[in-house]
Amino acid sequence: MNILIIEDERSLARELEIFLAGANYVCEICYNGKTASQKIAINLYDFILIDLGLPDYEGLDLLKEAKKNNPDAACIILTARAEVYDRIKGLDLGADDYLAKPFSMLELQSRMQAITRRKFGLKHTIITLGEFSVDLDNRTIAHNGTTISTITKKEYDLVAYLILHKNRTLTRPQLSEHIWGSIINDDCDSNYIDVHIKNIRKKLNTYAPADWLETVRGLGYKIKLN
Amino acid sequence: MKLQTKLTLFNAISKLVIVVLFVLLLPSLIQNINHTYTDNRLRKQQNKLLQIVKSQGIGTYMQNDESYGSYLPLKEEYISLDVVAPNYFLDTIKNEKRLVEHDTIEYRILSHTFKTGQKNYLLEIGKSVNTLGETSTALQNIALEILLGMIFLTILADLVYSNYILNPLGLIIKTKLIGNKFPNFGTYEKVKTSTSDFQYLDQSIHQMIEAIENAFHKEREFISNASHELMTPISILQSKIENMFNRDDITDEVKVRMLEMQKILNRLKNITKTLLLISQIENEQFLKDDHIKAKELLQEVYDEISIRLEQKNITIDISVPDGIELININKFLLFNLFFNLINNAIKYNRESGEIKIDGFMKDNNLIIQIADTGIGIADDQLPYIFNRFKKLRQSLQQESYGLGLPIVKSIADFHHITITVTSQLEKGSVFTLVFPVSVLN
Repeated sequence: MNILIIEDERSLARELEIFLAGANYVCEICYNGKTASQKIAINLYDFILIDLGLPDYEGLDLLKEAKKNNPDAACIILTARAEVYDRIKGLDLGADDYLAKPFSMLELQSRMQAITRRKFGLKHTIITLGEFSVDLDNRTIAHNGTTISTITKKEYDLVAYLILHKNRTLTRPQLSEHIWGSIINDDCDSNYIDVHIKNIRKKLNTYAPADWLETVRGLGYKIKLN
Repeated sequence: MKLQTKLTLFNAISKLVIVVLFVLLLPSLIQNINHTYTDNRLRKQQNKLLQIVKSQGIGTYMQNDESYGSYLPLKEEYISLDVVAPNYFLDTIKNEKRLVEHDTIEYRILSHTFKTGQKNYLLEIGKSVNTLGETSTALQNIALEILLGMIFLTILADLVYSNYILNPLGLIIKTKLIGNKFPNFGTYEKVKTSTSDFQYLDQSIHQMIEAIENAFHKEREFISNASHELMTPISILQSKIENMFNRDDITDEVKVRMLEMQKILNRLKNITKTLLLISQIENEQFLKDDHIKAKELLQEVYDEISIRLEQKNITIDISVPDGIELININKFLLFNLFFNLINNAIKYNRESGEIKIDGFMKDNNLIIQIADTGIGIADDQLPYIFNRFKKLRQSLQQESYGLGLPIVKSIADFHHITITVTSQLEKGSVFTLVFPVSVLN
């Protein structure tokens, strides 16, 4: 998939490119609004990431141009100006999602996947993990075709996030951010993730060993998947 | 004592003193006036008599130089004519006593000598002093009564007028000082008054409020700007660390240290996000157009937080009536309010403790109480718990940075929810939220 990254912070744009390229996206970078506007007018993209805080261009104007010239592209707004006003305005103008800086790139990828699923209609995806199967559309985990109903929404979210970032160790802060990211919270403790993982294992182990859910000592958790 | 009372009291006392002085001086005043008046009359009578003598001759009154005397039946007035030595001269008016038919009576006497037909005569006209003095006591009484009545009326008038003229002062205090809810000062409305002192006071207070408001806005703006400016560098650092985690050429040992960095960066991020959120709430950048059932909202918070209860084996009992719906609220913010309060109730609770959440209606307000069985807050610390970065309670295991309750307070203020705390050390704390009618359906 083709992505246009419009971000005036070169360092951040570069990291985004490294990350998304690693996830098999084809990236183009624009450091200013003017070249971005030209690129949007000429090329077709699947995703356009727009930083609202561009020095030379009104970010929301770029969004309008993108909607006009790249009607099929999914637009995600990235901004440090997390004002609610912009948020509403951005979504009204047809942005597909919105991420406030600082955001985790894992989260960005997760949002992009959700948009892809919604917008480009991926065919029914079922991931097989040992004796278990994870249905990414119905958001369920099943054992030999029987849905395990005790798995909560949060627990499914954790498994799905680990599957999306398969073979990559996700640290507790990263998992916490995904699960509780929108909550403004006074403490920086991320050990609750351990309780969640413990519960998931306990529930799954009554059916079959869930050894694909690995603990990476001192770092976090990962799901191995080929 | 109120200014109005003081002014009226001073007015009344000063008037009373003047009136008493006046009443005391009244007799001598009256005497003075009487004398002048009597003297004038005596002179007129003298002139009249002299004219009669001149036109008709002295014979009208005297024959053969016999003394002439005449008085009214009650002896209050008399006239006498006598022949005196040719070179005797007199022209006076003075008080003197005269013996008239066995009564000694004090008279005001005009004595005047005049010549006619080669003879010198002495004319005396007397007026009894008693008849003059009699009236003054009565006058004194009447004057006192009338003046006291007038004083009473002026005090009433003073009261009414001072009440009217001091009204702007009360208005200024009420609307500008007490009525102003810090930091939302609202717009400047001139207090209606024609008194320049009050206009000056009103203006001065307004200027002062403007100065405070400016300082306040600057602080808010600073926090907002600083938070925004910090977001981008934090974002870059976070991305760099995330990408490095994925590199094969970095050993696990280094990754563990990077995880430490990530945690610290997370802390920085959380502080900045929280400060930004507080400043956004205070700048009223959130809409209040959500509605949700109170019970439903608490259930959502419970779903998010239950894992933390589990970890500490804490039981929670939520009893909120089904029907109560919150309107005109920001759901995201209220969620965070409850999340932080319940999170604190967990964090500062003992192992296997309890949390009780009670909701009920009282006087049209919804009251929600969150009680825990935790370590409690000392009385001398209670006033400061909503201050930013004030870490009062030493949490046993978790780290916090002292912004949980400030955010709760900001959200509560934004929705006009009053929040109060009672606490007992080692027993637990109770946070009471009072939701106004305006957010209830």
